[in-house]
Amino acid sequence: MSASEQPQTDPPPTYEQAAARVEEIIRRLDSGEASLNETLDLVKEGKGLIEVCARELAAVGDALEELKLDELVGRLEREAPPT
Amino acid sequence: MSTSPFSAPPEDAGIPGSTLAGPFPVGEYAAALRAKLRSLTRVQLVGELVNLRPSRARVYFELRDADGAIPCAVWLKDWEAMLAGDAAAPAEGMQVVVAGGCDYYPGSATSSPGFSFAVTDLRLAGEGDLLARIDRLRKQLDAEGLLDPQKRLYQPVLPRTIGVITGESGKARDDILAALARRGWAGRLVWGFAPVQDRHAAPAIVRALSDLCAVGRAEVVIVARGGGSLADLLCFCDETLCRTVALLGTPVIASVGHHTDRTLLDDVAAVSCSTPTHAAEAAVGVDCERARADQANAAARLRHHAERAVRPRGEQAAVAGRLRDHARQAVLARARLLATLSRAPATHLDRQRTRLHQELREVRAASTRRVASERRRTREYALALRRATDMSIADCRRRRPRELEQLALALAGHDPQRTLERGYVLVGTTDGEPLLTASRAREADEVKLRFADGTIPAKIDRT
Repeated sequence: MSASEQPQTDPPPTYEQAAARVEEIIRRLDSGEASLNETLDLVKEGKGLIEVCARELAAVGDALEELKLDELVGRLEREAPPT
Repeated sequence: MSTSPFSAPPEDAGIPGSTLAGPFPVGEYAAALRAKLRSLTRVQLVGELVNLRPSRARVYFELRDADGAIPCAVWLKDWEAMLAGDAAAPAEGMQVVVAGGCDYYPGSATSSPGFSFAVTDLRLAGEGDLLARIDRLRKQLDAEGLLDPQKRLYQPVLPRTIGVITGESGKARDDILAALARRGWAGRLVWGFAPVQDRHAAPAIVRALSDLCAVGRAEVVIVARGGGSLADLLCFCDETLCRTVALLGTPVIASVGHHTDRTLLDDVAAVSCSTPTHAAEAAVGVDCERARADQANAAARLRHHAERAVRPRGEQAAVAGRLRDHARQAVLARARLLATLSRAPATHLDRQRTRLHQELREVRAASTRRVASERRRTREYALALRRATDMSIADCRRRRPRELEQLALALAGHDPQRTLERGYVLVGTTDGEPLLTASRAREADEVKLRFADGTIPAKIDRT
């Protein structure tokens, strides 16, 4: 079952899904075949997807965060509750 | 010392107290060493060919087995002749037999010396054991279906976290950073530094892979190492490492050695790249800067379509606005006209009022004149009447008594009372209306009989 067939429990679309859908929407709008209602629906959906893309791009666009695995493991081990 | 091949050293030039001969010029000694090595018996050696390095004039490689190694060199023309004679070209990891002898390049003031086994002939000693072992493992992994699982994993084109396993001091690290920067990617990069070419490498890489996925939450992992001999890259053919990668839930991008090298890790990984730069580009599937521009463009296009979609309503609104303007203009014009028309009666009234006032003044003037005239005429009439009255009164005073007397006589002659006094009866209705005919008297039931001295009721007898 594809993600789009699961109501309510749908995970947010990935960047590539969102970007591909936006391209599809714009192709449909550019074709000029969409009715007024469909156009408004597609524009609304497209804006939401662009926000998803922008969020994903912003997450990898602010500043490179470099971590060393050894330090990360050590930190997590220190933070772990004693058994 | 007369038998020494070296020139005599100067007096007191050596180390005081040393019993050794010399000091001799190093160049002479190096030449003597070369001569000595070249005089050694020429032999055949067998071992694994590794670290093959062709250059412009010579081809270098090492012949190695478990106990030691010898650097070898062969002139390029001899190497090509050897390739022409054999069906298969010698390659890394193959067992080969070489023939030749020791040689020494004494160096110079500007170049370094070097020892090598000068190879004059070579033949393959069957397929190299190492390559054969690797090939057997590859076939086994393939038979178990372990070359495919990684390739079926979902790999995000825009991961937020990337894990990298490489040597801490290797050039691969800089190449990856530079490639990610060119992509415009600045997410979370977790480095899992590990040895990448000794017997400790494979277990360390396995541990780093597991930790990167579990602790670092990497969405994709790059395993990178620069070029090297097959022996150097042997750790990337480790069975445990390959099985771990094959069953890992996170896609692994392998970038081990140069494009001519092929390790088992390249076979089991999701993606195999020839360089760390390519691996970084494979990890981030989009140019983030371009993607940002594309999204901005897409947003603009959506805005354009949205505006175009609602434009008819806007046009309707504009038309409605224009109609409102026209209506307002029309209403204003009508209002101005009505105001003009409404002022017209007032103007007319004013005009009429003025005219009436004028006429009134004229009438008043005329009436005043007329009254004066009439008054004058009236006075004249009154005067005339008075004179006439005076004359008439005088005349009446003279004639009236006699006329009254005559009139009284005439009137008495017509008085019915005088007739009644002579015995006549006047028959009338009960209302006093005279009944002048017998037929009318018969029609009445009751009548009144008026005598000179009174009235009595009577009934009509119709019999």
